Amino acid sequence: MGLQAYLTLAAVVFCIGLFGVMTRRNTIGILLGIELMLNSVNINLVAFARYSGDVTGMVFTLFTICITVAEAAVGLALVILLFRVRRTVTADHLDLLKG
Amino acid sequence: MTFETLTLLVPELALFALAVVVLLIGAVRSSAYVGRGPLAEVSRGPAGWTTLLGLGATFILTFTVREGASLLDGAFVQDSLALFAKRLFLASAAISLLGSLTLRTGAFSRRSAEYHFALVASLLGMSVVASARELVLLFVGFELMSIPLFLMTGFLKREAVVPEAALKFFLVGTASSAMIVYGMSFVYGVAGSTMLSDIPPPLRDGPPLLMLGMAILLAGLGFKIAAFPFHMWAPDTYEAASPPFVAWLSVAPKAAGFVVIIRLYLAGVGTAALVWTPVIAVLAGMTMVTGNLMAIPQRNIKRLLAYSGIAHIGYMLVGLAALSSSGVAMMLFYLVAYTFGNMGAFLVVQAVAQSEQSDGIDAYRGLAQRSPLLALAMLLFLLSLGGIPFVAGFWAKLYVFWAAVERGMYGLVFLGAVLTVVALYYYLLVARRMYIDAPERPEPVQVPGLLGVAIVACVIGVVGMGLYPAPWVTLAQRVASTLFS
Repeated sequence: MGLQAYLTLAAVVFCIGLFGVMTRRNTIGILLGIELMLNSVNINLVAFARYSGDVTGMVFTLFTICITVAEAAVGLALVILLFRVRRTVTADHLDLLKG
Repeated sequence: MTFETLTLLVPELALFALAVVVLLIGAVRSSAYVGRGPLAEVSRGPAGWTTLLGLGATFILTFTVREGASLLDGAFVQDSLALFAKRLFLASAAISLLGSLTLRTGAFSRRSAEYHFALVASLLGMSVVASARELVLLFVGFELMSIPLFLMTGFLKREAVVPEAALKFFLVGTASSAMIVYGMSFVYGVAGSTMLSDIPPPLRDGPPLLMLGMAILLAGLGFKIAAFPFHMWAPDTYEAASPPFVAWLSVAPKAAGFVVIIRLYLAGVGTAALVWTPVIAVLAGMTMVTGNLMAIPQRNIKRLLAYSGIAHIGYMLVGLAALSSSGVAMMLFYLVAYTFGNMGAFLVVQAVAQSEQSDGIDAYRGLAQRSPLLALAMLLFLLSLGGIPFVAGFWAKLYVFWAAVERGMYGLVFLGAVLTVVALYYYLLVARRMYIDAPERPEPVQVPGLLGVAIVACVIGVVGMGLYPAPWVTLAQRVASTLFS
């Protein structure tokens, strides 16, 4: 398998994630979509690093993984906060702000 | 790491130390709170004052850094653009702090250390972003800037609209971060290195993966600066968050986004950067149109300012679309003028909201009779945002259009000029309520002292830049010229 196969896989995963972000009605589902998008980046980076024989890409991956975790923590905290205040996590019900 | 490296990192180290100190104050305070002793009263609010003093000290320390130095093999530079941006971040954060120190809601006095820690952490992220010339550093800085902003948006967590706004801002912000880092992965793959200096110039017959990566990156950065079609998060977030924070949010992260765009797409690539002119020009045109047209029907002053802010991002993109030294210089000038005008307007919004408990435009009825000075300040800010002569915004728009004309982009300039008239319409709607409509209540609007200081600082900035723009133009041109040498 060549580099192209990995890049295609990453692109497919990224697009599934983006599709999920745009179509999911549940905020947890949107968060999962974002996680997919960020994970496709890791596939890309590791593939590029492997095929160019350069470790920078793998180091980059470690950073993206850490940051993804930090983002997920903040995101879930916000979802819990939303549920406490509004008793819902569905994006359709988030309509107090309009105009 | 030598001693010289440390002296070059002084602003960042100072911000880091400040963040730790503020966090410790919070820890001490909460234990003092339990005791309910005399300490509990003394310790009310030192986090905010410490932060303000720390920001002032860091601002002064930026002048000790040798300009043009680069460290870590060129991954981190303290060039004139970076220092210019850092001073802008620090000054705008200090103005915002003067506003937020007067907030007397329970959360701001109980959890003030958390708020100020997030502010300083975000500032540290911005400083890193302004200096980074390496992709990993850039991404980490971007996230360090963004994540505290989500927390600060959701700070008043008991109010019904706040979690919704914070979550919307978070989802859009993280999705855009994912796009940015996805674009970066392609750029790294083609360049074989994460250093910005190793990225090949964008050529029409260059590697397609590079252009794809740069395009995805531009879309991600478009979210961060709230350019069309990635602008929808801004009005919701602005409406729900507290005004002094919004004043800063509408300025500093956008400035950081522009610095990154300049570094990635313009600096050091010469005329090859012209590949991006059509893309940025279209983005600028669409952003100006949407921002200005969507602002007209707004009845909430914060949403109105949010859409007008989107329009201003469009005007700045006009300057950027010229992709010339003068275009970048004029964009930086615009950024400073916008900082004073927009922050000032949001601070007046805070004063009115505190006394009227309303963000509606109707709350401004007869403000000129109730508090003539406050109304005059608001009028100056609105005129500056609208681009009337002898206040800062006029020169900013003129210079940006001038730079675009130099590149022969007459259509874009014509569009911008027409939309400026549209913008005047909705700014003057607010002015009419202040000056012509009769007040509903006679008593003047109470302006807390510190908030007054912040508003006066913005007035001085707007009027000073309007009457005597020359030093700012020289400064902006000097910063821009270093990027194109």
